[in-house]
Amino acid sequence: MANALENVQATFLNLDGQYNLLLAACRTQADRDALSARYSAAQSAYEDCADQLLEDDDAAVAALSTQLTTINKQVSALTTQMGDISKVLTVLDQALKLGQQVMSCLA
Amino acid sequence: MKCKLSWLRIAAGGVVLSALTLTGCKTSDDAAAAASQMAATSQQLCSYYKALQTTFQQTDELYQLNEQLNSKPYTAENQQLLKNNEAELAKRAQLATDLSSLSEGFGALSASATPSNVASAASQVEADLDKLSPVKASSTEQGALKLAVQQLASAVQEHKEREAAKAMEGAAQSLSDLFAKETEIWNSTEQVYSQIAANLASSLVDANVTDNGAVLEVALTPFGLIRNGSIGDMNGKLAPVAKQQITTKKAAMDEAYRSATDGMAKALAQMAQRIQALADGKPMTERRAPLSLATVQAWVTQVNGVANTLAPASGAAASPAKSGSGKAK
Repeated sequence: MANALENVQATFLNLDGQYNLLLAACRTQADRDALSARYSAAQSAYEDCADQLLEDDDAAVAALSTQLTTINKQVSALTTQMGDISKVLTVLDQALKLGQQVMSCLA
Repeated sequence: MKCKLSWLRIAAGGVVLSALTLTGCKTSDDAAAAASQMAATSQQLCSYYKALQTTFQQTDELYQLNEQLNSKPYTAENQQLLKNNEAELAKRAQLATDLSSLSEGFGALSASATPSNVASAASQVEADLDKLSPVKASSTEQGALKLAVQQLASAVQEHKEREAAKAMEGAAQSLSDLFAKETEIWNSTEQVYSQIAANLASSLVDANVTDNGAVLEVALTPFGLIRNGSIGDMNGKLAPVAKQQITTKKAAMDEAYRSATDGMAKALAQMAQRIQALADGKPMTERRAPLSLATVQAWVTQVNGVANTLAPASGAAASPAKSGSGKAK
């Protein structure tokens, strides 16, 4: 349970901590909306994960959780790439996709 | 949701089982002491869950502030998810309260309880367990608990006191185990609360809307001095110190919570061990409630203290349900 939940939590909190800077770096309303949507998705994934009281003793979940740990390192440093919001969104999408895969394995 | 109801069921079972165990004790003083300690432990468990509920309410408020101040979206759907998790805590708090009341009641009955009294109580708990059935739970745990309650009721009706006490052992241990099993989820919710609060506080320092002169009090207060209300440019210079204070206090909040959770887990484990000893016919050597409950109380007091400070301006108790979704501006 711990690793899967911790990783989904980390995606959300890392984004929350950098959100203001990333939002300021968005040049268009479309970029701002896209970033906002990722924030909602990250928050939703976390709350869903908490709601299900996940257990990640499953091997597939453990593997996904490891990948999420790796991608979260990029998420924690999103502001270093905020000159290119499309890269930021891509990293977030990768993290959110892994989070969704974890959830689907456990549903 | 795998272990949510199983926890509730086992907690409810623990109440009845502990009550029944009293009839299995040879010494009424020991039985009364066990009941009293179980009541105190359960009451602290209730306080623990209620304090966690407070952090959920404050998290909800923080999200709403973030939406207004920082354009961080907070959709009605996400608010509902948070409320759902808060509702799970409310169920646990209520069950812990019931557990405490029942333990006290059985403690009072210990000197004169009759098998029919206890069997009746067991039937009542079985009925309570059935009411919880709409919520999913581990079938193994449900089955084990049901069986334990039925065995207890049967043992008491047949005047097999030792069997009743033995049946209680497993349930008491299960309650302890399941609390430990859920620890990670509650740890996570506390961490999210403290980090979201810290991030927001830090952004407010950046926005220069905080009075950072408060950090000067450590230097001035010992000498009976009060800082000037207007510190001008120094407010900006003190921003890094204010941010460090946020980091330090967040770490202290997290540590206090971890200590409280560890203390609660230890207390439940100790109660399970003590009840097991009673069921094995050993004397009750400890007359006090588990000492680790003090760390739980310290954290509860801290959380409630902050909540009481916020109460006049806070809408936590009546936080409005959202009807729309946030948009980045």
